[in-house]
Amino acid sequence: MSNENQTLKIGMPTCKDVMAHICDNLGEELNSPRCIEIKTHLENCDNCQHYFKSVETTIQFYKKYNVQISDEAHKRLIDFLGLKE
Amino acid sequence: MEELKLIELAQNGDRKALTDLVKMYEQTVYNFSFKICRHKDRAEHTMQETFLSMVKSINQFSGQSKLSTWLYRVVANHCLMLARSENKYGFTSIDDDDAVIDEKSIADWKITPDKIAENNELKQILDESIQKLEPEYRIVFMLRDVEGLSTEETAKIVELSIPAVKSRLHRARAFLRNELNERFKYEQ
Repeated sequence: MSNENQTLKIGMPTCKDVMAHICDNLGEELNSPRCIEIKTHLENCDNCQHYFKSVETTIQFYKKYNVQISDEAHKRLIDFLGLKE
Repeated sequence: MEELKLIELAQNGDRKALTDLVKMYEQTVYNFSFKICRHKDRAEHTMQETFLSMVKSINQFSGQSKLSTWLYRVVANHCLMLARSENKYGFTSIDDDDAVIDEKSIADWKITPDKIAENNELKQILDESIQKLEPEYRIVFMLRDVEGLSTEETAKIVELSIPAVKSRLHRARAFLRNELNERFKYEQ
């Protein structure tokens, strides 16, 4: 599985997403005994699924919090660098 | 015009190409600087210093990595320097996994990420929470999770091994999640 697929998906992470994410952090192969145990646990554990959903939501909060450079800050930057528009 | 062509022109003294490169990346650099510094004036100062470094060093840029990777590294180093000079002891240590992961304390969050644009109180909570996180962890979280760089690119920028990046990312995510959980569990 690629790194992209191992990342928790936005919205509805499945047990497999969560398991892949944990195993990736542990450096485990997905079909290793450790990962199979984790998968079994997660499939039956609402608490863990809820926890990892909240981690994903945390990331989304910071992704959506952006600031725009103002026109004044842009002009100050161009002046500071001695450039012209 | 594509980035490599602009860099080539700038290296040959074309000031217009240099201006175009600045304009191409100023929003990214400013936004990333703010996300690390969490302060608009410091973010602007960091942005200015970052582009000054780019202008001074453009002739040494070989094109082997993306210009954005180089800019991220300058911002990260500058913010780290500022943070270390201003706050040596104010961060929460998260060197121990057991101290960070608190999966037993689960609350239903009433606030969702799509409310961020119009909610200044929420922005303040996010600022306060991430300011407790050591800058070395904050930078990894921002590069990998927020800016969407790969683990490999992040490792290159912060000059860490891939396992070290994964470890910092894991702890930073858990720390921030716990901080928000503490704040949001009382919000209705």
